[in-house]
Amino acid sequence: MSNRLNLNDVLPNKVTIWKLRNNNPLRKSFINNNIKPDEFDALIKIAVELSRYLYPYIREILRSKEDPKNNSVIWNDFKKRFIELINERFNINNIRVKKLLNQTRNDEILIKSMLTLSLCISNEGYQKLKNFLLNIK
Amino acid sequence: MMQNRLSFHQSSVSLEIIGLPDYSNNENNDQISIISQWKLTIADKPLIEGKIEHLGPIIDAFYIYSNLLINNEMPLYESKLIDIKPENLYIHNIVLKSSKRDVKPLTIKIGNSLLADTINCFDQLNESSKIIMKKQVVFNNVPIKAKFKLINKLKFYNLFLPPLISICSLVLFSTPFIYFYNPFVNEEKKEFINPE
Repeated sequence: MSNRLNLNDVLPNKVTIWKLRNNNPLRKSFINNNIKPDEFDALIKIAVELSRYLYPYIREILRSKEDPKNNSVIWNDFKKRFIELINERFNINNIRVKKLLNQTRNDEILIKSMLTLSLCISNEGYQKLKNFLLNIK
Repeated sequence: MMQNRLSFHQSSVSLEIIGLPDYSNNENNDQISIISQWKLTIADKPLIEGKIEHLGPIIDAFYIYSNLLINNEMPLYESKLIDIKPENLYIHNIVLKSSKRDVKPLTIKIGNSLLADTINCFDQLNESSKIIMKKQVVFNNVPIKAKFKLINKLKFYNLFLPPLISICSLVLFSTPFIYFYNPFVNEEKKEFINPE
């Protein structure tokens, strides 16, 4: 994907992306590497490209939660997998990670994250997502 | 004269724009810059249609509401033409108000998925080279209620104003009581202690 987005200079291989992922302070393997602006931009471009590709799935996940009468199987599967991944890869002693794992209160975070991604699939999605990320409280 | 029709689709939502090119600006036959009508079709919902003067405010309303939704705790958009407010985390109520008398406002409930589809349709419209619309600056059209929330978000003043006021008041009140060192008074005191 980085080839297609002309990001070869910034992200030459998978290891670079893996190292950049470790800049996330919520991860177990957190290393403070001071992410550079062009690396930050490259990660946003990849996130936008992936959300464009995954839009039908994101949309179905959002839709499955909308009708309370229906048993939201897709939503429950998604949430279950999300929590599994957080438990596996994130530092579960961190207060913010605990908030993500809180079954009763994490719906809002998940919905807003999915909605943010679903709104950034246009050609200007990169700029939109960047603005959203920089405006987060 | 045959009018041009352009459609934008995103999953369950489609937007149709009907109009003519502006030949005086040497525009191509397939372009639209004089919009005569538009139709927004949301699956299983009543058709929304109107004139060009309604399209801009409706697009702005959706963009502003979605921004507030992502950045704020409680989003709310209200204007003469359209109100959008959340019913809960998953459902949003859209109230479309007619400019004609005796026409009741139309209320439509849409979920997050339809909201995303609608905004993606508007994105396609904005990015289309075949439709030339006068782009409106979104923040000039923010209604008063939304503006108020945006101003509240400016935490800069909240952060710096209280300590600034406290420092100023401290300086003002303490100035009359300031003690200046006077060497002559000190000399006299020393003499008093050691009369030799």
